[in-house]
Amino acid sequence: MPARTDRLSADVYHALAAASAAAKEGLGDPVLVELVMLRASQINRCAFCVDMHLTLARKNGVSERSLDLLQVWEETDGVFTAPERAALALTEAVTVLTDGFVPDEVYERAAAHFDAPALAHLLALITVINSWNRIMVSRRTPPGELVWQ
Amino acid sequence: MTTTETRTYAPEHTPRLPLAQLAPEFYRAMVRLEAAAAKGLDPVVYELVKIRASQINHCAFCLDMHTKDALASGESVERIVQLSAWEESEHFYTEKELAALALTEAITVLTDGFVPDEVYERAAAHFDEAELAQLIAVITTINAWNRIGVSTRMVPGHYTPGMYKN
Repeated sequence: MPARTDRLSADVYHALAAASAAAKEGLGDPVLVELVMLRASQINRCAFCVDMHLTLARKNGVSERSLDLLQVWEETDGVFTAPERAALALTEAVTVLTDGFVPDEVYERAAAHFDAPALAHLLALITVINSWNRIMVSRRTPPGELVWQ
Repeated sequence: MTTTETRTYAPEHTPRLPLAQLAPEFYRAMVRLEAAAAKGLDPVVYELVKIRASQINHCAFCLDMHTKDALASGESVERIVQLSAWEESEHFYTEKELAALALTEAITVLTDGFVPDEVYERAAAHFDEAELAQLIAVITTINAWNRIGVSTRMVPGHYTPGMYKN
């Protein structure tokens, strides 16, 4: 399956890459970063992104059990930490805006686990991965294609 | 006897978090992304896309901003009002605008399943490759702003056109 188009302006790519780097650095926890990146990519059905973030998650030490159960994290016990669960709930709410806003309880739950700068960067990260998901799905970038690094 | 009725509106909410201040480097990159994405895209299409995505994502602040920007740049009230039902008011828009709106919906709502070939091909028939890439980038970028606006609950009503331009 070839990509639909190879066109992606270098300025767009570099700006989004800079936004990505800033969000990741501000959050600081590579395991949490990959869980958020992967969960959003699952929801948005981005094959390229799921493939890439599975690879990066493994590279950053995310356990196979976490990866297996990420899609059903709400029904798991003892697999994800409380901050991870709060971040995953926030990821889902911010990724699916069509169902209506970001509920106070979801936001407050995240705010209870992350201080304001960390929460800001978590929201930034969710925003960034949603952007990559949209670019890669629209271009139909095949999984494994090296458009990154 | 007076016919004047005093209306009391609901109180204005406050934003949840000043994201631009707390994540300044991220925010600066977003501003760069916005400028890079907008380059080369028809400005009329640009505003229609901004408004339609913001409607789908329920971003109140973004709707305030982009309807005001559209009006300020000469867009008609009728075309803005009809946008939320554009499939039933096609004669308000050009074929190129309609193709862009269809692509906007497909890329904004990914949870319903990918971006259909017919939607992509329709857009590709009206936009050359370079402009299509910019259109995708603009749709992506407004989706990002929508997420920032909704998650931090940015307050609508105070935008004036041009206030973010240098």
